[in-house]
Amino acid sequence: MSNTTGYATAVAAVRALESSLLSKSDIDRLTAASKKSEIADILTGSGKYTLPDGESIGEFIDSELERVWNFISGYAPGDKALSILLYRNDFHNLKAALKALIMNSEPQRYFITPTNLDLGELCATVTARDFGSLPEYMSEAAEKTYGILTETLDGQLADACVDCAAMRAMQLSAEEAGSGFMKKYAALITVGSDIKTAYRCSRMNKSALFAESAICGSTELDKASLVNASLRGTESFLSWLSSTAYAEAAEKLSESTASFEKYCDDMIISLAEEAKLKAFGVEPLAAYFIAKETEIKNLRILVTCKEFGADNDIITERMRKLYV
Amino acid sequence: MSNLGLSLAVLGAAFAALFAGIGSARGVGLVGEAAAGVVSVDPSKFSKVLILQLLPGTQGLYGLLTAILLLSRIGVIGSGAVDLTLNQGLMFFAASLPIAIVGLFSGIAQGRAAAAGVGIVAKKPDQSSKGVIMAAMVETYAILALLVSILLIYNINI
Repeated sequence: MSNTTGYATAVAAVRALESSLLSKSDIDRLTAASKKSEIADILTGSGKYTLPDGESIGEFIDSELERVWNFISGYAPGDKALSILLYRNDFHNLKAALKALIMNSEPQRYFITPTNLDLGELCATVTARDFGSLPEYMSEAAEKTYGILTETLDGQLADACVDCAAMRAMQLSAEEAGSGFMKKYAALITVGSDIKTAYRCSRMNKSALFAESAICGSTELDKASLVNASLRGTESFLSWLSSTAYAEAAEKLSESTASFEKYCDDMIISLAEEAKLKAFGVEPLAAYFIAKETEIKNLRILVTCKEFGADNDIITERMRKLYV
Repeated sequence: MSNLGLSLAVLGAAFAALFAGIGSARGVGLVGEAAAGVVSVDPSKFSKVLILQLLPGTQGLYGLLTAILLLSRIGVIGSGAVDLTLNQGLMFFAASLPIAIVGLFSGIAQGRAAAAGVGIVAKKPDQSSKGVIMAAMVETYAILALLVSILLIYNINI
């Protein structure tokens, strides 16, 4: 099979599934639901979701992405480019395991799925402090973070280091996989995370050392500029950001963190939309996963907002851009 | 030398069937892979994807037709093989090349176009005829090559 026609079966299957992604009108109907319990009925009524018996809407949402991942990875087992999509989950789980080790508690309830890791193995490896046995892309970060946690007990710095390592690993793996789409994905995820971190550093007057450890840098915005800008205070940082290609990010940050997070997610969905033009390859598979991830994020927002009786306008404002 | 001429003509017939057949096999296989993906999710779309899968199969048939016509013209099928000069043999060999080469590449290209069309069937079944039309456009070049091969075969003096 030539690379240019790779994953023909998987792409066709994914195209068939794309017709069951929630549309704008589905989201409007869900937003208009009067209470949380109605969400499940609307979803089932749309014919796009079948809720398993005895599973609550919350449980269903929690496990849906894993089902999607199992479907995609079933067609493309061990694909390096696709596995990058789960790096953030992998590093989150590493963080949970390391913190649980330090606090002598159970990490299981903090784990998130889908993940590239065997979570039982992760626990055992971290407990044995055998960081070298972890996947290559995270072993160094695990060692370093464990050192920070044991020597400084600085949870914030440890979090920042793991997050930064996740971004770096994504960029490196995307480079190794040679996928232009995944390189762009890694760069956009990194730039969103870096801007958020730099903004927080500027607001909390974090030291240069902290900013250096927490900001990763990417082809979109380089590390040195971000670190320097973060050390000059919030206003100065936003003014610098306005002069870059990410001026809209500065606007969104000035509005609220929620607006900025929506902006970051929408950027990723816009990238995924490029894969609509591809008939073969890993891009349509990655795009479907991203689309489903966004859909699940929207459903979570809806469920949470309905649970707490939030206004429909707030829900609409927070809904992420749809792939379909 | 007369045996070599005949051998070249027979080799031409083999090439026509072989390369056009490979092109079709690759194309049909690729569409089959894509079609299986759609049918695994929605079996009701089987008939629509089947049309797309059939399209790249024609190059193999054109190759077969060319081979039969060529073999019949030189008498290998039917009355008995005629004596051919090296020049005549080469001409028959050259006559088989258009469908052999164009059949190979157009079969693969049509397979790609039809496999992409399977995506249309999957996502927008009401637009599936457009996928068929786009894939069928590739057929034009296989038909032109077939015409050239047939014209050549029938216009070589023996």
